[in-house]
Amino acid sequence: MTPVLTNLMRPMPFLADVEDSFWFPKQASSFASEVDWVYDFILYICVAFFVPMMAFMLWTMIKYTKKKGEKAESQVTHNTPLELAWSIGPSVLLVWMFVQGSISYLDMRTPPEGSYDVGVTAFKWGWTMDYGAGTFHPELHIVKDEPTKLSMRSTDVIHSLYIPAFRAKKDIVPGRYNYMWFKPTVASEKVSDEELAKAKKQSEGSDGWDYDKYQFTPDGYTFFDLYCAEYCGTNHSQMQTVVVVHETQEELQAWIKANSSRPEDQTPAEWGQLLYNRRGCSGCHSNDGSKLVGPSFKELYGSTHALAAGSDITVTDNYIRESIIDPKAKVVAGYQPVMPSYKGQLSDDDIASIIAYLQSLSSNVAEPAAAAAE
Amino acid sequence: MSTSTISRDPGYPTDRENYLTNSSGILSWMFTLDHKRIGLMYLIGVMTAFAVGGLLALGIRLHLLDPEGWMFTGAEANNIYNQVFTLHGAIMVFLFIIPSVPAALGNFLVPVMLGAKDVAFPRLNLSSFYLWCFGAIFFVSALFSSGLDTGWTFYTPYSTTTDTSVILATLGAFILGFSSIFTGLNFIVTINTMRPPGMTWFKMPLFLWATYATSIIQVLATPVLGITLLLLIAERTMHVGIFDPEFNGDPVTYQHFFWFYSHPAVYIMILPAFGIISELISVHSHKHIFGYRFIAYSSIAIALLGFLVWGHHMFTSGMSSLTTIIFSALTFTVSVPSAIKVFNWLATMYKGSISLTTPMCYAISFIFLFTIGGLTGLFLGTLATDLHLHDTYFVVAHFHYVMVGGTLIAFLGGVFHWWPKMVGKMYNESHGRIASLLVFLGFNGTFLPQFVLGSRGMPRRYATYDPEFAFLHQMSTYGALLLGCGLLYAFIVLMLSLAKGRRAPANPWGGATLEWACTSPPPYYNFERPPVVGDPYDFHNIEWDAKEEKYISTEPERKLVPEETPGQVPAHH
Repeated sequence: MTPVLTNLMRPMPFLADVEDSFWFPKQASSFASEVDWVYDFILYICVAFFVPMMAFMLWTMIKYTKKKGEKAESQVTHNTPLELAWSIGPSVLLVWMFVQGSISYLDMRTPPEGSYDVGVTAFKWGWTMDYGAGTFHPELHIVKDEPTKLSMRSTDVIHSLYIPAFRAKKDIVPGRYNYMWFKPTVASEKVSDEELAKAKKQSEGSDGWDYDKYQFTPDGYTFFDLYCAEYCGTNHSQMQTVVVVHETQEELQAWIKANSSRPEDQTPAEWGQLLYNRRGCSGCHSNDGSKLVGPSFKELYGSTHALAAGSDITVTDNYIRESIIDPKAKVVAGYQPVMPSYKGQLSDDDIASIIAYLQSLSSNVAEPAAAAAE
Repeated sequence: MSTSTISRDPGYPTDRENYLTNSSGILSWMFTLDHKRIGLMYLIGVMTAFAVGGLLALGIRLHLLDPEGWMFTGAEANNIYNQVFTLHGAIMVFLFIIPSVPAALGNFLVPVMLGAKDVAFPRLNLSSFYLWCFGAIFFVSALFSSGLDTGWTFYTPYSTTTDTSVILATLGAFILGFSSIFTGLNFIVTINTMRPPGMTWFKMPLFLWATYATSIIQVLATPVLGITLLLLIAERTMHVGIFDPEFNGDPVTYQHFFWFYSHPAVYIMILPAFGIISELISVHSHKHIFGYRFIAYSSIAIALLGFLVWGHHMFTSGMSSLTTIIFSALTFTVSVPSAIKVFNWLATMYKGSISLTTPMCYAISFIFLFTIGGLTGLFLGTLATDLHLHDTYFVVAHFHYVMVGGTLIAFLGGVFHWWPKMVGKMYNESHGRIASLLVFLGFNGTFLPQFVLGSRGMPRRYATYDPEFAFLHQMSTYGALLLGCGLLYAFIVLMLSLAKGRRAPANPWGGATLEWACTSPPPYYNFERPPVVGDPYDFHNIEWDAKEEKYISTEPERKLVPEETPGQVPAHH
């Protein structure tokens, strides 16, 4: 059900998305209509109080503004029944807000049995969704009309998962699991192949995919925004991803399968670059030599670094592998041991692909091979 | 009139009596124990802090002019933005809003309204001012030196892992907390013990009730902030494992500790504003305040209930459902006493004789803005809608309507109301009113669009944002520029009055509280002897003297008993 006021304000051309209401983004989950309805009702109540009060104030202001020195018409000091009435009367409305708010809240809090479960890992500054069987992806893909439960954890500081179109939000607190659920009601649309091909061509050569520019994912789906809502440091405002709602379970399974491992037609280095962007490496490791939270990947492979522990190490295949699985074992001097472990989250082929990608960024590739030959 | 009346007007102070001129030299200010001078120094201090915080706010708004960020550029743009909003929040909260009304105006007014010569502990009063200065310098230098970027809330584990100077900044806040406690303690003792004969609790001006309620919160809640900050320092240095999950701590525990202080602190900020508005509305309507007891009791109710609602800052943090629902219920109870006050102010204006002076313009904008701030709180207290609105611009707009539309506007109204009393000069009324209109329009321009931004899903504390939010962000920025101009205008009006303002009469507005019974500015001793105390809102005997543009209080000629002067000079004379 769409609230009346929301409908009235629908044609507001200056707000980018014309299909949205004045107050809210599109309603795309079963919670949305519930929340919007409660919101609109509270809004009516507030307007019903605010407008007469301000009209009264304006009227007294005009009517009773007098020349200095004129006496007030009345010097009444109080009227207890009247004051009790306006103290206690509106409380009924407050009780309604509390009760209605709590009922809806309990619905939103308790996931139904047998919900589709997606694991969510939040980190500075990105998301990894776990689709089981070793498939991880930063985008959240779910199925229309299927209750979906997110089991969420954070590897560093507090984050908060917020999907405005679903009217759903929950903090993700390190050291514990937090859960949320929702039932999406609107499926993403698929853009035409030509449009997708055009966008793909345009975005070639640039880092990653510009979701805001194209308004669809690299797979060609329109999406709903997913934000981090709890301040988490430097790139808090870039800690965004998207939600894609598939029409059927089969479509989702097909998408998962396509993203579970390296496709036949991709080289390890290409797949490694994809993982670099997709799995959050790029948040801390640049590929252009600039220093972020961790060492840059440019010219890293084959170079020699001093470790925080004191000794030196040359970056080889095995060192990279160890740093992915047990990042705190050998930390390069000048950096904090803050990287989470990817043990069990990347397959052997994935790790080999990342190594291949690092090799492609380095001019030292030949040297270790030569050293091995000696 | 049938019977002859005598009028009472204290006239003007001589230079020797005037508290501003009775001694001179920088040392006479630095070591002064006069509450009025300390109040004036606080006023300069908090206005300076406000100017710094306000410029930072303009920086935030200018940055958000463009989705990709306009003001700060380069690789560090996000970090600079994060530091700027942290600084803005921390300076505004700890250095401006909390001390603004109680420490600056309260210091000046509490003893004068009580007909007393000073506060109960003048030396404690001066030391609290120096603690404030010391804490402010410490705090600001810590913030600027390493670029604190935790937000003013210092949430763990971000604050225990960032490499910026969290320890120094929290120590600064700790020191400022002591300054706040000292002021609160001083006012509690002063109001309890130094009321003049005849001033019962229910004959106190409502500003004193509000100050009293505020002081209770300051004394009871601020120590919790101190404990929290000490624990935070212990966590960072010794890893005691309370807040940091890496050492088996719980970050949500920190939020409980923090909001147990910081929610009552919200009422430290707004209660004195309620007190000011009660005075302003009544005096400028020349009508007895309506429902004195309800207003007085509601201040105390807010002070007590304010301690029970801290959990509403954490509805999405993963507290148990039962806890969440209980906090929601308690949150609604605290809205009742605030609503009572607004209704009573409106009823006070009804059938009054309103003078649309500058302070009254601020009081009327306060009612408008604070009502919006209060009503939008209902959306956030309701659990279902809060889950969507929490940590979005809706919250930002809501608390700015309360803190700026409420406290700042009331503070400005109070400054304009008591300015003639403090400095002995009248400012230009029409320019004062134009400035208040600009502030009103600029404020709404800044924060009304933010409600819509928030309900449409724009998260707060974002340095960059999705392009669909650009239009509303730009509106907000233009509003902020207008607001800045309005505030600057108001400041210039006040400064010009110092140079060329008309000499202020003792009672320029027609107030009946005691501060209007002494000269403007008051003599350094305030009152020679405890003044006669009546109903602080009884305007029957206050008459307008059009010739001299001032109000005088009249009383029927009375026979004094004994009629003859005693033959002998009393022994103690």
